[in-house]
Amino acid sequence: MPIWLELLVLMLLAYMAGLAIGWAIWGHGSVENDGNG
Amino acid sequence: MALLRNRSAVVALGALFVAALAAIAGLTTGPRIAEALAARAEAAIASAGAAPVTAHFASGSGWPSRHPTLSGGESLDEATRDRAAKAVAAIPGVGGIRWADGTAFASSSDAPVEPLKCEEDVAALLRARTIRFEEGSARIDAASRELVDEVATALRPCLGSIIAITGHTDASGPEPGNLALSRERAEAVRAALVQRGIPADGLRTSGLGSRSPVEGLEPADPANRRIEFSVIATQPIRPTPVDTPGPR
Repeated sequence: MPIWLELLVLMLLAYMAGLAIGWAIWGHGSVENDGNG
Repeated sequence: MALLRNRSAVVALGALFVAALAAIAGLTTGPRIAEALAARAEAAIASAGAAPVTAHFASGSGWPSRHPTLSGGESLDEATRDRAAKAVAAIPGVGGIRWADGTAFASSSDAPVEPLKCEEDVAALLRARTIRFEEGSARIDAASRELVDEVATALRPCLGSIIAITGHTDASGPEPGNLALSRERAEAVRAALVQRGIPADGLRTSGLGSRSPVEGLEPADPANRRIEFSVIATQPIRPTPVDTPGPR
């Protein structure tokens, strides 16, 4: 497996993990009314 | 900015951005990583005494990779090639290794010493004495119980292996009966061993009847009535093949 592909897979996984964590913490608001409780 | 109001569009854009970042980073640093690994691999191969072997850090399509393909050194013996491959694999950052002239699979080089030893121990016990059965039955002779104790003790180092217990009879009497009797005798020995604390799931029994007499004996010789033990599979803990590349 080429190095760039390994990096791509790892970084996309990290991105998805970040999304999941963000969703778990701030979850249910939409982009339109974020921060307004 | 209407696009940014759509959540899935934002997530997709983010993914695209991350992918672009990864591709750029990979394409710019990849060749340098591969070069550094190649230099260290060359040194490792040289110190393993396998200088003709070369490690090529590239994927099948030619991109820089952490997974080297080893080639050359066909004139070297397997042990040296093995040592070179292990030295390369031990470099931090190097992934799985394959030989250009072989498969990606590696064979473990460590021999299963313990199980063979206990197989020999049991064979030595049974060479001097035999587990006897009452005539025409599968009951272990009272005098043979002590021998079964000793066999159980000798098998103890092999726990975790699969041990085959094979029953044999002589050629007197009809063969279907012999076959059943040999099987029952093997079962009886298995039960006796289980009673002495050998786990039942590692013991397999079979009966061969009079089909395979002792070498050099007449098939009808009563000495063919016997029980044989052999270790048919071992389950030692081994590192994964990626960690211990074999010579091929």
